Amino acid sequence: MTTKTSLLKVILLGDGGVGKSSIMNRYVTNKFDAHLFHTIGVEFLNKELEVDGHQVTLQIWDTAGQERFRSLRTPFYRGSDCCLLTFSVDDSQSFLNLGNWKKEFIYYADVKEPEKFPFVVLGNKVDVTERQVSTEEAQQWCQENGNFPYYETSAKDATNVAVAFDEAVRRVLALEERTDHLIPTDTVKLHRKPRSATSCCS
Amino acid sequence: MVHVYNCHPFASQQIVQVEQEPGLVCCGGGALFVVATGGCKVEAYNVEQEGCPFICRFATMGTVKSIQHSKMGDYLVTIEEKNSATYLRAYTNWRHQAEGKARVGVRLLGHLLRGASVRGGVQMEIIEIPLSKRPVAVACCPVTGDLLVGCEDTLVLFALRRQNQQSLNQSQQILQSTSQNSSQNQAQSPSPNQNFLDFERSVILHLPKIEPKQVALCGGYVAVQMELEVLVLKLDASSDPKTQEESSDTKKTDHIDDQADFMVLPRHQELLGDVAKDCDIPVSIENTGLEDGKGQYTLSYVLFRRFTPDFFQGCSVEETQLHSLQLYPLYTSNQSVPLEEPACVFCFFSLPNAGYLYSLKGGVELLSTYQYPEKVLKAVLTDHLLHVITKSALQCFTVRCAAVAARIVDPYIDTTMKACPPCSMEVCALRIQLFIGLRSVCVDGSHVILLSVADTETPEEPERTPQRRRLKLKEHTLLTGIFLAVGIDPATTPALESFLSRPFLGRKWTISSPKETSPAGHGWNLYVVDSVSPLTLYQEMVEYSERYAETNPQAQSLRHLLSEAHLFLRASLLRTEPSEQPRNIEGEAAETLQTDTDAPAERQTAAQTDRQEVEEALRHNCAQLGDCFSRGSQKDCHLALPYYRMSGLSVTEVMARNRPLPSSPHTYGPGFLFYLKHFLFEETEQTLSQEAADDVIDIFSQSEPSQLVSVCASPSMINLSPAKTLQILIHQEDTCGVSVLLTITMATMMLCLDDLPQYTQLMERHAEMLLVYRFIEEPRLLLHGGVGGRHTHIRPTRLTRQLAKSQPGLLVAAMVALHENSKVQLEQADHIFKELGCENCLQVDFWEAMLMASSQEAVIQELLFRLVSIYIDRLTNTTSDTHLNEPHTPSRRRPLKSADDLINSCSHYGALYPWLTVLNPAHTTSSQHQEALYKLQSLLCGPSLSVGSVVPLMERLSEETLWGFSLHLLCSTRRGQYDRSIEKLLDRCPQAIIAYANHQLQDTHMILWWQKLLPELCNRTRAASDNSILLAALKETLVVVAMEMSPTDFLELIPDDGTASYFLPYLLTCSQRHLMA
Ligand SMILES: Nc1nc2c(ncn2[C@@H]2O[C@H](COP(=O)(O)OP(=O)(O)OP(=O)(O)O)[C@@H](O)[C@H]2O)c(=O)[nH]1
Ligand SMILES: [Mg+2]
Repeated sequence: MTTKTSLLKVILLGDGGVGKSSIMNRYVTNKFDAHLFHTIGVEFLNKELEVDGHQVTLQIWDTAGQERFRSLRTPFYRGSDCCLLTFSVDDSQSFLNLGNWKKEFIYYADVKEPEKFPFVVLGNKVDVTERQVSTEEAQQWCQENGNFPYYETSAKDATNVAVAFDEAVRRVLALEERTDHLIPTDTVKLHRKPRSATSCCS
Repeated sequence: MVHVYNCHPFASQQIVQVEQEPGLVCCGGGALFVVATGGCKVEAYNVEQEGCPFICRFATMGTVKSIQHSKMGDYLVTIEEKNSATYLRAYTNWRHQAEGKARVGVRLLGHLLRGASVRGGVQMEIIEIPLSKRPVAVACCPVTGDLLVGCEDTLVLFALRRQNQQSLNQSQQILQSTSQNSSQNQAQSPSPNQNFLDFERSVILHLPKIEPKQVALCGGYVAVQMELEVLVLKLDASSDPKTQEESSDTKKTDHIDDQADFMVLPRHQELLGDVAKDCDIPVSIENTGLEDGKGQYTLSYVLFRRFTPDFFQGCSVEETQLHSLQLYPLYTSNQSVPLEEPACVFCFFSLPNAGYLYSLKGGVELLSTYQYPEKVLKAVLTDHLLHVITKSALQCFTVRCAAVAARIVDPYIDTTMKACPPCSMEVCALRIQLFIGLRSVCVDGSHVILLSVADTETPEEPERTPQRRRLKLKEHTLLTGIFLAVGIDPATTPALESFLSRPFLGRKWTISSPKETSPAGHGWNLYVVDSVSPLTLYQEMVEYSERYAETNPQAQSLRHLLSEAHLFLRASLLRTEPSEQPRNIEGEAAETLQTDTDAPAERQTAAQTDRQEVEEALRHNCAQLGDCFSRGSQKDCHLALPYYRMSGLSVTEVMARNRPLPSSPHTYGPGFLFYLKHFLFEETEQTLSQEAADDVIDIFSQSEPSQLVSVCASPSMINLSPAKTLQILIHQEDTCGVSVLLTITMATMMLCLDDLPQYTQLMERHAEMLLVYRFIEEPRLLLHGGVGGRHTHIRPTRLTRQLAKSQPGLLVAAMVALHENSKVQLEQADHIFKELGCENCLQVDFWEAMLMASSQEAVIQELLFRLVSIYIDRLTNTTSDTHLNEPHTPSRRRPLKSADDLINSCSHYGALYPWLTVLNPAHTTSSQHQEALYKLQSLLCGPSLSVGSVVPLMERLSEETLWGFSLHLLCSTRRGQYDRSIEKLLDRCPQAIIAYANHQLQDTHMILWWQKLLPELCNRTRAASDNSILLAALKETLVVVAMEMSPTDFLELIPDDGTASYFLPYLLTCSQRHLMA
């Protein structure tokens, strides 16, 4: 297990505009851009980390949150080691959609044991004063859905961003040490578009 | 036996500064890609620059199991694993990942819809290629950049698509209009050099029975290598979709039934071309291309090869495993790369102990088999060399690709014009360069990249000097072992002994690693070994060859080495011209990124001078090969000729190269004599200096005296010194006896010496007829030039000129004989007579003589026409007066044949009609004029001349003179115009009418006597009753008519106003004759 390459794939999911790209930028380059483009498709960045003495390459996958890009992003859920479900605390709809994001992920990533899969929930934009989602609401949702860790972050002023990623890594490593956790071995399959997935944005 | 030469194909070696131990290595487009062991990171280094600087680093999405670079499109393709799933991915725009920090776009194939890359400039992009089966092997087509993926029982072909900038912009606009926060989208215009790539799945080949290990793709050729088999297929795009029936399946079952009793395992098998269908691997094709349904492919079998482990040779199953499958294209310099298909495609694959190189285009053929001296791990084929690695050495073998290509480029190879070493020539090892613990090899251009990982048990010695010595010693024993393994005992071969005693890191081997410390630091090393230019290697081989030449110029090795050198040069000539073009297309991304773009014009001229240098070297090499073949044995000696020709050396230079040393007993080789004879007998346009010509005479008097006559007759030899040659010829006559040809040649020498009496004496030694026969044998005694073809001008020799003066009859006879034996054409003969200044005399004699001799109808008609025209010329240019002042024909002598001679001896000249004698004046004209008149009349009276064709010519003659009239009358008579002729004759010369009528009005024309002549005469006598000539004619006519007609008919004819008494006697004769009958 120690000789295994520690390439950890962490994927950011959540409605368009909640700040996924901003969080990734803050974490990797420590920068914030107030005028960011919507992401199209999927992009990723690598970051070398040392967590609890483990040398780890964290591969952070940023996805397009907008509904119309679904077909571009879903093929790349597969192989994720951790999923960061993101909403914006000033956008209640994005919070309400969390459940849909989780379902979409579990379906397309083809996770065999969804109960055991490490999700981390991020409530972004805590710097904003007009909140629509309270901390309690969010914590409760995490509690009910599988006892996910919850972090309130701000990509703008860097609050909790690094902490959240550290937690994600720790979760994955912990899981790997416990079980020979494996994600199914077959390759990506095309043309699997379930009708059931609900809309996230509109 | 494998030739091993200790050449130095490598110039220098650099050690790439890699931090982590490399796991996988690949290269292409001037870059080296290193994947750290077990890592998910690719590092790129620039191999074109000193020290191989780091270019960039980028992360992969999983653990890389296999990596390949495609020159076309400058992309990388990987097979990766992540959490036990296998993925196939293509990495494009990797050069833009300078920081390793930029975001990397990821998408599925076909979803070309980029965000950041289109908006904010260039972005590296990963294209995920979904597959239904696990990918095992991939290959990129060096021609198109297409991708072939080998899965467990299928091969999938993906076509590379380069996205059109415009269509991309359009899709971008659609994207923007629907974008929510479009206010932000002040889209920057995308970089024009952006490499937008995509792939389109075009064909799937189902091969249910195989387990591919490696695949290769080149042009339409698809190769797949299993553990012990190689199958090469050809895919052809076709418009009409053919149903591919799997005939091989049904056939195969029969096959098995046949063999069921014996349980024969298929042993070594080689099936070439269509026959490869019979291998037991059924292939079915599934077209998946979407484009207009056009992407239909048909499939054909090209090659199948199967090996079985040979246990008796001490091989284990594991050792009999194929590797290093490669399809290799070769363009020729006249091709516009890469728009056209490559001229040649080669297929290489290797067993641990032997490699096989096939040529696929224009008939599949095994070119070379490489017998390795020890177990080979991997092999890479390049234009010039086959690089193979064993655990402890990099070995370079020569290849025959250039020999194949040369023959495709130039149809004149393997003629007397051009030559090239044969494709089948044995290959050899040029170099065995020692390395420790080699693991992998790859090649990019002139850079050979090696990964070595030292065995842990090999201890590294800290001090350098003793290590060197130890190494050398180690090399020696190792190499000796290798030679023994291939059946050569170095101890018995002095050349090898000395070769082995030489230090391996020779003078040309420089180590320029920036840090000497690195090899000691860890157990592995990544080397970039730079090859020397083909020209440098060529020069080294030439140096070697000189050493061989000194010791044993006849040696096969010398010839072999020079031939190898020749192919080296050819290979680089094949490549030099187009090499500039593909760079621009292949490495466009590279080009735009690199700031040090030197001016293209400069590069162009540099390439040109390079080419000139190589061409110069090739000429030099051809000269040396020429030498080899000129001195060698009878076998292949004819090759001296094309090689010398290609060398551009003059004959004199070639002769100088072949001149034996005064001391040596060495004589002229058969190849040299072959060359020289060819030069003397075929190439008529180059004359030798007197010195050279005399040398040639010496050479032949020594080596082939029987050729002396032909040699002397060569137009190239006209400068020879006649006195010296005469001596040699006399000597020749003394030893071999008199021969007519020798005599003629000697006479020619006398002519050159201006010794006319001697000349005459010699010429009189043999009968003219014998001389004529010899002239047929050696026409060049009379004619120079024009023999090989009509493009060279034909001209008379000195002898010809002399004959024209002293023996014109002989000359004419000889020319006729030459013509009849197809040694000279009519026009050429004309030219000769023109040169001799005898157009109007000897030439006409020639034509007349030709008429006698020739049996070719076309020639006869041509000659008849010419002669008619010349006779008319003569008639018009001479006057019929005896005292003449003729400007045109200064005829010094009489024609060889008189009109009488011709009438008597030549069937085309007819006897003159009797009535002509009445018309021809006896003594009023000059003899010349008269001869011409008689000859022309005779031709008109003859059977062969078609009178109609000469009528236009006749118009030049006036009818005023009686002879002129006679010719016109002859013409109209011959054309059957009797009525008019009778009238005219009665007008001009009635005294000839009865002679005319007697001769011409016979048989069917008999009726003209009474239908035309009689009424004419009656009319004319009525008008001029005192004309005695007409009356006499009338009487004669009546006699004839009375003889021929019945009395009643005769009565009818008598004119109404006629005096009965006048006609009565004839009527009486008529009735009496009628009664008797
Ligand atoms: N005030 C504030 N603004 C933020 C924060 N994070 C992101 N934003 C802004 O929110 C907007 C959207 O952020 P993005 O990072 O582009 O959102 P996204 O989740 O990547 O959206 P998609 O790519 O469409 O899925 C941008 O204008 C950001 O500047 C934050 O923590 N605080
Ligand atoms: Mg985004």
